[in-house]
Amino acid sequence: MANKSGKAPMTSWEKNQFKWGWIFILPTMIGLIALNIYPIFATVYQSFFKTGDFGRGNIFVGLENYATMVKDAEVWQSLWNTIKYAIIEVPFSICIALVLAVFLNRKMKGRSVYRAIFFLPMIAAPAAVAMVWRWLYNSQFGLLNNLFGIHVEWISNPKIAWISVAVIGVWSILGYNIVLFIAGLQDIPHDYYEAAEIDGASGVAAFFNITLPLLSPTIFFVLITRVIGAMQMFDLVYMVMDRTNPALPKTQSIVYLFYQYSFNFGNKGYGSAIVMLLLAVILIVTVIQNVGQKKWVFYN
Amino acid sequence: MQSMETKRKVTQIAIHIILIIFSFIMLVPFAWMALTAFKSTTEATQVNPFVIFPSQWLTDSFKKVWNNMSFLLLYKNTLLLIFWRVVCAVLTATMAGYGFSRLEFKGRDMMFNLILFQMMIPSQIFLIPQYVMVSNMKMTNTIFALVFPGIVTAFGTFLLKQAYMGLPKDLEEAARMDGCNIFQTFLLIMAPLARSSMVALAIFTAVFAYKDLMWPLVVNTSATKMPLSAALATMQGQYSSNYPDLMAASLIACVPMIVLYLIFQKQFIEGIATSGGKL
Amino acid sequence: MKKRFAAMAMASAMVLSLTPVTGMTTMAADPLQVVIWDSNQQAGIQEICDLFEEETGIPAKVEVKSWDSYWQLLEAGAQGGDLPDVFWMHSNNSQMYMKNDMLLKLDDYIEASDVIDIENYMPEVTELYTWDGSYYAIPKDYDTIALWYNKTMFDEAGLAYPDNTWTWDDLYDAAVALTDKDKGQYGFALNPGNNQDTYYNTVYSMGGYIVSEDHKSSGYDDPNTIKAMEYYGKLLTDACPNPTTMSETGTDVLMSSGTVAMIMQGSWMIAGFLQNEYMCENCDVAILPYDAETGVRTSICNGLGWAASAMTDRPDDCWKLLEWFGSKEMQIKQAELGVTMSAYEGTSDTWVNCTDVFNLQPYLEVAGESQDEGVTNELVLRPYTYNTTVWETAATNAFVEAWADPSKMAEVSTNYAAQMNQYIAQENN
Repeated sequence: MANKSGKAPMTSWEKNQFKWGWIFILPTMIGLIALNIYPIFATVYQSFFKTGDFGRGNIFVGLENYATMVKDAEVWQSLWNTIKYAIIEVPFSICIALVLAVFLNRKMKGRSVYRAIFFLPMIAAPAAVAMVWRWLYNSQFGLLNNLFGIHVEWISNPKIAWISVAVIGVWSILGYNIVLFIAGLQDIPHDYYEAAEIDGASGVAAFFNITLPLLSPTIFFVLITRVIGAMQMFDLVYMVMDRTNPALPKTQSIVYLFYQYSFNFGNKGYGSAIVMLLLAVILIVTVIQNVGQKKWVFYN
Repeated sequence: MQSMETKRKVTQIAIHIILIIFSFIMLVPFAWMALTAFKSTTEATQVNPFVIFPSQWLTDSFKKVWNNMSFLLLYKNTLLLIFWRVVCAVLTATMAGYGFSRLEFKGRDMMFNLILFQMMIPSQIFLIPQYVMVSNMKMTNTIFALVFPGIVTAFGTFLLKQAYMGLPKDLEEAARMDGCNIFQTFLLIMAPLARSSMVALAIFTAVFAYKDLMWPLVVNTSATKMPLSAALATMQGQYSSNYPDLMAASLIACVPMIVLYLIFQKQFIEGIATSGGKL
Repeated sequence: MKKRFAAMAMASAMVLSLTPVTGMTTMAADPLQVVIWDSNQQAGIQEICDLFEEETGIPAKVEVKSWDSYWQLLEAGAQGGDLPDVFWMHSNNSQMYMKNDMLLKLDDYIEASDVIDIENYMPEVTELYTWDGSYYAIPKDYDTIALWYNKTMFDEAGLAYPDNTWTWDDLYDAAVALTDKDKGQYGFALNPGNNQDTYYNTVYSMGGYIVSEDHKSSGYDDPNTIKAMEYYGKLLTDACPNPTTMSETGTDVLMSSGTVAMIMQGSWMIAGFLQNEYMCENCDVAILPYDAETGVRTSICNGLGWAASAMTDRPDDCWKLLEWFGSKEMQIKQAELGVTMSAYEGTSDTWVNCTDVFNLQPYLEVAGESQDEGVTNELVLRPYTYNTTVWETAATNAFVEAWADPSKMAEVSTNYAAQMNQYIAQENN
């Protein structure tokens, strides 16, 4: 960071760096501006329009889409559904993954087999995952009900469907979290545990006194990415819930609603307004988490 | 001492039991997928008595969906999608990551802030304008359209930047002493050293390109131009409740990726661990 | 070292797998892209296309989409200028596509053709695909609704099969008699999405309506419409599986798994039902009941049209295919294959005779003069406006509440009428 003194003439080395620096970053920056930065403005712009047939003849309506949205109970219900989904998916997938990762971090037989199995859902097509779960849950012919001789409407009872969907979410993401936690665990020096063992601390005590604090940066990272990921949930609702499903209003996510309006009802203006709401919510959640992390994340 | 040994054994067994239970939970859906795929529709919707194992292992569903869905084409589309996304991401991110980490130039920090900014934005915001762009280019229903949003990657740039920052500076200075210019230093010395991060990025990109559902659904609506994920999703509406067919198709779609994963398991998991952990 | 090898192996595996396929992208004559949404009809339509190729040398490949993704494909295609060559049109959306010049205008082709004479097709169907006096699609088929019943269940209960004397009350009584919740057997099934095939019919038969005749306002608050909806409320409470069950599993599957004794279904389902062993062994078809008060027996009817893209670069080839689909021979073929009833007048008997497993006569009878004293048969076109999809989807969503609690049927229906009127007012017309 030595040379930042503004107007001094550039040396040839500096010129050289300037030239190559821009050459290196140019493809990425052009792409980024065209594919991401411009679209942000375009989406904001679009949210002020009523979309015409086949995207033609859009009519400027000012803040009308936002005004409609604020009064639209469906939007707020979907936002609440999304938050409820995140409240189940994130803590459970993190806690279970953490425990399993600690187990898998020990030297033991079959470690790689377990790890391979847990990771399996990550590489299955999300549509396939959703379909098979939908089939497992089916109240009439599903494995779950028939195996246990019960009659639970897992995905069509509005009171529990959101939990059933979140369970699929946990199942799908568990392996990913485990892998990240194992990577984090391997960075914890082994002598800490040896010292604790000499002091007579139990495995559980070591977990709370050593593992958790030292792993907290990884946990924080997983937490933040999982929350953002959960807020953008779409595949599961799209694949598991039918239009006629009475539980749909209580499970559809905000991104699902965005998709419906933008691509099924041809109302991209309203879709854009919905996605701006999502942006606002994600930014707020991220800020809260970043403030909160100072209280519990332990950096070396 | 002996009690300590038994205690350790008991814990070990308990841990195995927990892990086995969870493995079982992870595997049941896959098993049920396979078992259903080999049944007839009547058997799959039979409740009295409920059938777990097919009485006859029928392959009709596999034949039917294989013939109806042109899976070879779907595999091809998926592979092309993954291939080009990986090539583009690794290429641009390797270069940009180097520029951001090892070169000092005006405008760098501002540009990097844009990268960080993009990483915070939910990708759905980009979706409609990206779709309109592809649509205006008359490029919907092409491989290009599938690859389009992944031509550059803010995340990959960030990942590679971190990787370069972890490399010692004297290597570069030595290269410069030997008369390498900046590009040669990058190409011959630095880029090869960052290759484990490149592999990580490649794997990360591949997995997420394969799992991406909304973009392909939106942009490639023609059945022959879809990747597997989207084709499977639209199939559900088509065969409504014919679960043996749906499960057969799911199985056909998942198996190649699972085989690839089992072969390159170590790389897969390391790639995900590094790319995830670096952020 | 090992790592690098693996990465290279993976990369080369990918490249290798690409090479053989990239070479064969373009072939001599590309097949025309034909897109439809009903997988039951795929085999039959493809057969007709194969005959077309034999005749003209132009190949045509049929592609099936689900209903939702079908319209998404067309919408995306219309916006991006990349519609499939030839595809089905439906009254829900036809006006929007015709008004915006998305469909190939057929007037000149029809005039020059000695195969197509628009007079030969059912006028109701032709009308759906006419805009400003111009034709935009060749009528493909028409469909009506009938009552399906499970013979075995009727026999077991000692009840007579449904027939032309049945009123809606008879249907209700039989449905209740056939319901045995402990056995998991129910008399009837429908979900809020079963409009055209189920509740629309009753609404019109009882003198109500869904959309006013000028296509400008909703009929969901009409007392007769509400009467019909409340009739279903009663059925739901007394003779149907749990609404949640019906929402997870379509009525056709509930029927073919022996869960319900009666459903109402459209004539387009025949090809699918013929492939189902259980249906073939146990089920048959009866004419829809009529309303005792009005004396009207109503079947909703609709017809699809074969349309071509206005942007296709092979309009002449597309027209040849439309002409082929519309020709008398192929319309008869379509009926013979059991795909659907054809829109070509006078071909219906062929369809009725396509199978002896089910009695298909009821589908035809309802379209003809009534043979029963004091009963009028009436065909009603599936209600539509400029942008039907929007309010139809909203209706499905709105009625979910009433399905869960049938006592709210009247309330939901009245409230929904206001909402629907709003949607219609917003249509860009």
